[in-house]
Amino acid sequence: MAAINKSQRIRALVVMGMLTFGFLAVFYRLADIMLIDHDWYLHKARGQQVRKEINPVKRGTIYDRRGRELAINLETESIFCNPADISSAGDVARALAAATKADEKTIYARLVTNKRFSWIERKMDTMQARQIRDLKLKGVGLIPEMKRIYPKGMLASHVVGFVNLDNKGVEGVEGGYDRYLSSKEESKLVTRDAKGNHLSTGTNREIRGNNVTLTIDEGLQYILEKNLDAAMIKWKASAATAIMMDPYTGEILALANRPTFNPTDLSNVDMNEVRNRAITDVFEPGSTFKVVVGIAALEEKTVKSGTRIDCSAGFVEVGGKRIKDDHRHGVLSFHEVIQKSSNVGTIKTALMLGKDKVYEYIKKFGFGDKTGIDLQGEISGLLRHSDKWSGMSIGSIAIGQEIGVTPLQIVRAYAVVANGGYLVTPHVVKEIRDPDGALIMKAETKAERIISEATVATFREILKTVTEEGGTAVKAAVEGNSVAGKTGTAQIYDPKTKRYSKTRYIASFVGFVPADNPRLAMVVVIKEPKGSIYGGLVAGPLFRDIANQALSYLTVPMDKTNDKGMVVLADKEEKH
Amino acid sequence: MINIDRRLIKNFDWITLLVIVLLTLIGILTIYSATRPLAGMTGHSDFFVKQLVWLLLSIIALFIVTSFDYIWLYRLSYIFYGIGLLLLVVVLILGKTTMGAQRWLNLGFFSFQPSEFFRIIFVIAFSSYLTNLGKETEGNIPVKGLILFGALPLFLLIKQPDLGTALLLLSLFGVLAISKGISKKIIAVALVIGLIAVPFVGHIFWDGLKDYQKNRLVAFMDPEVDPSGIGYHINQSKIAVGAGEIVGKGFLNGTQGPLRFLPEKHTDFIFAVFAEEWGFLGSIGLLGIYFILFMRGLDTATKAKDRVGRLMAIGITAMFLVYFIVNIGMTLGMMPVVGIPLPFVSYGGTSLLSNFIAAGILINIRTRRFELFY
Repeated sequence: MAAINKSQRIRALVVMGMLTFGFLAVFYRLADIMLIDHDWYLHKARGQQVRKEINPVKRGTIYDRRGRELAINLETESIFCNPADISSAGDVARALAAATKADEKTIYARLVTNKRFSWIERKMDTMQARQIRDLKLKGVGLIPEMKRIYPKGMLASHVVGFVNLDNKGVEGVEGGYDRYLSSKEESKLVTRDAKGNHLSTGTNREIRGNNVTLTIDEGLQYILEKNLDAAMIKWKASAATAIMMDPYTGEILALANRPTFNPTDLSNVDMNEVRNRAITDVFEPGSTFKVVVGIAALEEKTVKSGTRIDCSAGFVEVGGKRIKDDHRHGVLSFHEVIQKSSNVGTIKTALMLGKDKVYEYIKKFGFGDKTGIDLQGEISGLLRHSDKWSGMSIGSIAIGQEIGVTPLQIVRAYAVVANGGYLVTPHVVKEIRDPDGALIMKAETKAERIISEATVATFREILKTVTEEGGTAVKAAVEGNSVAGKTGTAQIYDPKTKRYSKTRYIASFVGFVPADNPRLAMVVVIKEPKGSIYGGLVAGPLFRDIANQALSYLTVPMDKTNDKGMVVLADKEEKH
Repeated sequence: MINIDRRLIKNFDWITLLVIVLLTLIGILTIYSATRPLAGMTGHSDFFVKQLVWLLLSIIALFIVTSFDYIWLYRLSYIFYGIGLLLLVVVLILGKTTMGAQRWLNLGFFSFQPSEFFRIIFVIAFSSYLTNLGKETEGNIPVKGLILFGALPLFLLIKQPDLGTALLLLSLFGVLAISKGISKKIIAVALVIGLIAVPFVGHIFWDGLKDYQKNRLVAFMDPEVDPSGIGYHINQSKIAVGAGEIVGKGFLNGTQGPLRFLPEKHTDFIFAVFAEEWGFLGSIGLLGIYFILFMRGLDTATKAKDRVGRLMAIGITAMFLVYFIVNIGMTLGMMPVVGIPLPFVSYGGTSLLSNFIAAGILINIRTRRFELFY
């Protein structure tokens, strides 16, 4: 054994000290990673090893009320790539561009990202997909994706709505009922390796959403839209809305807006087209709103049908403002006030009721509140509480000014007259069934009595005469069937000048047919028609045409046997 | 030369043998786990079987190395060293190139890395040289020695390039020189020159590096620069270790290796696989086993019967230690990735064999610590 001297012992100690130091450093680092920061690393590990895989969900079909398909699925395929696996992006881009007829530069950009997954082209038809599969490009893959197709094109697009590229419902029933149409189990977690291969061997069962049946009737919808389009052209209008509703149940049978869009091709859609004006836009209802004061006065027994109201002055002063009639009427019965749409008579009636009663009935009819329709984006309209009314408000509001209503609100108010006094909740979905046909949801009729049967019956008789000789809307009369309804014309309030525009106005007609045994409540609203400024001349014929065709579609028997005179053209129109 | 007497068996260093066999078995289990097929796939790669065969060969080699007195290594050291240098030259001329480095010699039936054995030869030869220097040099190493045991082998290794072994050799040179008793003046001068030289040499050194080596250094400085590129190794290895937590995921439950996130999972980064499955506690246990190995090696050095034995023991222990520290260090992101295996645990036949031979020399020195024969 060699002798160990002092300096050697010191050296040995130094070496052991260094060794111990090295160990402590490793120990510290190990503790740091494994005990202190382990959550972070664990999270990273999971993040890269587990991927959420979306199972293609077969969205439920949307049917009309008679089982006709309005939204279906098409099996398509999408190309994706793992940019890391692509050796020559230029060649691949050229080959793909040739096969898909897409822009080569766009494809190239998608090939050279530093993501691990990049879509190249989505939802191609199977022919194209086969071509691409045959190219056998490394790093490029195809996966099946469902494409939402709307076989009826633009029909009922504002009700049906549309989905985004990931098949998530965005607007309309597609949006509002997405959780039914789609499925909760649309994704699962799968383990993947560093090369992106998915390792789960779990079964890929097809996931199907529930089928939704709408209250819309495709036939009525078609009639409505066809006539709406014709009116748009005829009057060079900027926008239009029409709603047809079952007055007893609140089921929307048809609903359309113009401008509209094609839900299958959203490449250059603009929000102006997508907006469902029936529930998102307000307009001043004008004379159509006189129904509120009229019914209120009858219900409160302030007047009877024959009560004489002196309108001979041709104007009435409310809060210092003079409101005139188109022409002097003289002394009118209450019936005639409504039939001839006398502003003076209506306002005098409103003054007899007082502003609190008027406000109470406005609220009763559901104005100022959302109707509760099962579509997204509904607004409640513009209505100030009677406490905040100015002196002239009661006059303006009685004749449908100083108030903003949605087309849906006004048609619902007329449905009250049609159905005998009930305020119904409008809806567009009739029922939802699971893929096996079991009922999941059935829409119930929500109707609340707000007006007595007798009042409504009286008022209905008055309303019927509006479209008869001597009324304001003879043009709305329907061949062989009596119409109960009212015309409205309102100037457009320009928020810039804070004045009513002299040239821009909104024409509307709202009512129901047949008057005695109503089947349909309907509103048509035409914005900025050119040529005629009278609502009765613009909206009335549109209402008549739609109602005529709708009733024959529904094979409703005529209730007026020999009364062809209803289509007589009348040039006498009212203004408000 | 072969001398099996009872005293040898009695004094045989079973503890070192037990420790390295234990480490190798842990390694084989970890290799088995790291290379297991993924769920739903078949075909287990046979790395663990190969390693098991190499273990048996290595144990035989170890017993052969312990069977003769290590004094013969001292006596034949310069011949070994000559052969070693020759092989390094040959590999530069005839060696096959993998991943930008020319390290392998193909002998037809098998290929091996001469540098794996050269490091042992270096320890033997340099220890012998320092012993022969005697006291008359007063702690100085002659220029001849600096060139022969410093510059020349470093040049040959960097030329391959085998940066890992070159750095190992440099540190072994330092450790052995200090152990020999190099004068404090020289250490101080070397340090000062070294510090001044770093910026200059560093620039030349940087330019001389291959791209993959530069990338490794950049990645070491900031692994997040490009998580899918050069920093990938370090990130994935840290993720594996961190995911192990306290008790680990359990044997055959590691994920980073089989899912192919962790590169070099059964070779350089095997510690990450082990740490993920056995956790902090298992890792501490593994470190403990190594600690025993190193302490035993240093103890052997202090108990060696002669100077050359002491130097060899120190050299071999230092070699294991450097490999261990650098490997664990790179796995934990403390050091640049230099492609050094974890001794005894990482997969690799040549490496295992040479480590067992080295350990055999350690055991030889300890076993013969009481023998006086000249």
